[in-house]
Amino acid sequence: MYEFMAWLQSSALGHAMRESGVWTYGIANLVHILGVASLFGSVLVLDLRLLGVWRKVALAAISEPTVPIATVGFFIAAASGFCLLATKATEYVGNPFLYIKFPAIALGLLNVAVLDSVPAWRQHKTRELSAAEQSKLAVIGGISLFCWLTAITAGRMIGYW
Amino acid sequence: MDSRLSFAICAAILTVSLTAPPVWAHHGWGGNSEQEFELTGVVDTGVSLAGPHATMKIRSPDGKVWDLTLAPPFATSKAGLKEGIIPVGATVTIHGHRNLDPKRLEVKTERVTWNGRTFNVYPDRK
Repeated sequence: MYEFMAWLQSSALGHAMRESGVWTYGIANLVHILGVASLFGSVLVLDLRLLGVWRKVALAAISEPTVPIATVGFFIAAASGFCLLATKATEYVGNPFLYIKFPAIALGLLNVAVLDSVPAWRQHKTRELSAAEQSKLAVIGGISLFCWLTAITAGRMIGYW
Repeated sequence: MDSRLSFAICAAILTVSLTAPPVWAHHGWGGNSEQEFELTGVVDTGVSLAGPHATMKIRSPDGKVWDLTLAPPFATSKAGLKEGIIPVGATVTIHGHRNLDPKRLEVKTERVTWNGRTFNVYPDRK
């Protein structure tokens, strides 16, 4: 862990983050927040629908805008987060919130992979789903909310440790 | 959305924000002692204006190296404390608040005095 953080900190990215002006970190932080907001805002709406809120609205009508915004938001958050981490990477070694945040993200991504493999999800745009299928998607939606809420909470707390 | 659900979510957010530990309101000072702390030492690593907070390191007379956490980069530079102003090896006196963990030699630093100049990086704090 320490070796990786030391490598990241001494990388070109780490140097650039530290040596390119007093606003660099703040701007990377802003981009990170926009990425997280896009990701979580979309995920929240989609997961609540999977959990059974707004049943009158077709799932396809909600998944169409939320999935691409969440995907783009994730990559923006990941890229900017990498920059923030690289600035002083070694300082975060031993920070317990980091060890909560990254497994939560990994679990969230694994959950996305599971969702993508479920027939009900793959076919939700072309056919009605049975009650059993909707329940299955509700479980996945609940896990998703839990993962991303945990990741965001732990992430916000990193700086307060 | 169902108005009862909206109400429940708002009530939950309000409850969490009202009952959150007050230390969170201190925005980063909660992990530091309330006691004023002063230390004189020799600059070991000069000022770095990297985020989220500017930093420097000084060596106290007993040979221990202390991590100084200054204000965020822009506020620190606005106080005149830019990179390269205080040379490595110079003697400085710093004023701030120590980390609550006595094993950590870290001071959230409000003022740095060097060569008759005081850099007040947190002018709103006493």
